[in-house]
Amino acid sequence: MKEKAPKKKRTKAQKREAVWALCFIAPTIIGLIVLNFYPAFDTLWQSFCKTGDFGKGNVFIGFANYAKVFSSSEVWHSLWNTIKYALIEVPFGVVIALILAVFLNKKLKGTSLFRTIFFLPMVCAPAAVAMVWKWLYNQQFGLLNNIFGTNVAWISDPKIAWISIGIIGVWSVIGYNMVLFISGLQEIPGDYYEAAEIDGATGIRQFFHITVPLLSPTTFFIVQTRIIGALTIFDLMFMVMDKTNLALENTQSIVYLFYDYAFTQGNKGYGATIVIFLVIFIMIVTFILQRAEKKLVYHP
Amino acid sequence: MKRLVAIFLAVLMVAAMMAACGGSNSGSNSGSGDSGAKASSITVNIWDSNQQKGIQEIADKWTETSGVKVNVEVVDWDNYWTLLEAGASGGTMPDVFWMHSNTAQMYMENDILLDLTDYIAKDSSVDMSKYYEGVKNLYTRSDGKIFAMPKDHDTIALLYNKAIFDKYGVDYPTDNWTWEDMYEAAKKITDGSNGDVYGTAMNTSNNQDGWYNLIYSYGGNVVGEDHKSTKIGSDESKAGMEMMRKLLTVGAPQSVVAETGTDSLFQSGKVGMITQGSWMINAFYTAENHADYYWSLLPYADVNGNGTCEKEERWSAYNGLGWAASAKVKDPESCYSLIAYFCSEEGQKLQAEKGVTMGGMTGVSEAFASAFEGMDVSPFIKAEEYSLYFRPYTRNTTVWEDALQQKGAFLDPWQNPEDSALMATACDNAQKIIEDAIANE
Repeated sequence: MKEKAPKKKRTKAQKREAVWALCFIAPTIIGLIVLNFYPAFDTLWQSFCKTGDFGKGNVFIGFANYAKVFSSSEVWHSLWNTIKYALIEVPFGVVIALILAVFLNKKLKGTSLFRTIFFLPMVCAPAAVAMVWKWLYNQQFGLLNNIFGTNVAWISDPKIAWISIGIIGVWSVIGYNMVLFISGLQEIPGDYYEAAEIDGATGIRQFFHITVPLLSPTTFFIVQTRIIGALTIFDLMFMVMDKTNLALENTQSIVYLFYDYAFTQGNKGYGATIVIFLVIFIMIVTFILQRAEKKLVYHP
Repeated sequence: MKRLVAIFLAVLMVAAMMAACGGSNSGSNSGSGDSGAKASSITVNIWDSNQQKGIQEIADKWTETSGVKVNVEVVDWDNYWTLLEAGASGGTMPDVFWMHSNTAQMYMENDILLDLTDYIAKDSSVDMSKYYEGVKNLYTRSDGKIFAMPKDHDTIALLYNKAIFDKYGVDYPTDNWTWEDMYEAAKKITDGSNGDVYGTAMNTSNNQDGWYNLIYSYGGNVVGEDHKSTKIGSDESKAGMEMMRKLLTVGAPQSVVAETGTDSLFQSGKVGMITQGSWMINAFYTAENHADYYWSLLPYADVNGNGTCEKEERWSAYNGLGWAASAKVKDPESCYSLIAYFCSEEGQKLQAEKGVTMGGMTGVSEAFASAFEGMDVSPFIKAEEYSLYFRPYTRNTTVWEDALQQKGAFLDPWQNPEDSALMATACDNAQKIIEDAIANE
């Protein structure tokens, strides 16, 4: 950004260049406007409306939907469920992936095989993953209860169902986090480790004093994107929990609640309000994280 | 040259995107003008893959005379309504599709569906009085206009596993069974197996094929004739649900049925008997152990205590789908002609013979009973000799129907069936849920 555009009129060649540039990015711009921006603003508008059937006859009602959302214990409960899910998925997903990445970054036989295995869940369709886990957890015929000889209602007991769901989340996300960590690890110069070895540092000391701080930009990136990902979780609850499941109330995420109101019950306006509520919450979380970035990330 | 290629590519990309957004999927929509252009093919959407083969065969028969091709596509229940609603809100709808009591009123009020009134009036071969009253009324708007023709009707019966009854020495269900008899039999099975096999199983979501029928048998109702009121909190309804509660004490617990559907539990030999709708016959007919499966009439409630079943003591829910077309189709003549064929005596008889479903027209379902070789499904037809009630619906059924299945309504007593006070409270809560939902419609 060194050359500043001259304030004079552009030359013919520059104009032509600008037109061409616009032509080339037009597909993306149109796509973004049609598929992202328009729906986003429409959602915002709908959140102020009592929506009619089939997108017709929306009536502006001001902040009535918002008042209902903020006073609804169901919404707050779902937000808390979502946070609980994030509290399992993010820390465990990051720590386990980091440990695996450190091992798989070493020059050992079969690392690429293991990398592939750990990355596989990421390639599977989330709905398929959820279906498989649903059967593993099944109280009557599930593999887990059969192996351990237990009779635990993994996904129907309100006390443990949220943990069971969290475990699926961790399992699905480890591979993705791991690949990011490996690429971060490969950017750390080997000299640090050589020097540390000469000074007599053990592997564990090396991990905590070289790997962890030098990897912190990657870690921060993963934590931030995973928090946002976890707060918008939907497919797991949708696929695993039946509507009549006793534990649904303690596991349904806020996006699930949105889906239920907007698409099952056909109350688009209230659904839109729930989503805007979530957007605001994510914005606050992201803002705090960005502020904390300077303190948490090690800049050599 | 390079520039030409670049322009070409850019145009192509934009065009491709537009095409992707527009997404036309049926031949009949490409015609220009409002009338005249005859479609070369018609897209039909349904949600039940069990019926796809039969419906396609009947449609092919129609193609023989009309020359218009018909593509029957299956979209599963949940996505069906999402897609249809998106199509109705400004996208592309299929030409001909099924309507259901959950949503019919909303679609009719918003003029989404093709008005069939004039076509039917002009068509001398159609006699609307031949169809089931409840199904016909459902698809007739308050101003008398008809938006869908009755495709079928379904009823409910009791399904039991003879092998399990034999094993625990329990007498088979008979036509004279009361709900109390069902309870005794279920208790024997559950006790006899030490809880390994359950006598019966029912989830809160088994409403039309389950606990609704108890409410009506005992004289209550879920939604009144006017579709604007409910008596689910009345003493009669409470008596029905109290009987339900007794059945639950000897049935599979809620945590089990929430994870595995009652049909899967039955098919894996974990449950002795369940109530089921006629739309499920095929699933059991093609199941592995189908030789052990037998159908019987739904039990009745001996309200007057005389020991025999009066007509108004045995109730089965019935529901019927409707064949409807989109109001925006370019070739309404052909679409109507297809619908009229599906609902004609010939089409309806074919539907029954092929074992697709029972008819929406009365008196065409005899053939249905013999469509399943080696399995007697006559109880579904016999149920009509007693009382039928149309599946409860209001303008926005899903709102209260879902709420009734969850916490704060019937999930509470289901979870703890030993406590009879919970069931009475749930009925009171349900009364309020339905009344509130109707008030907000």
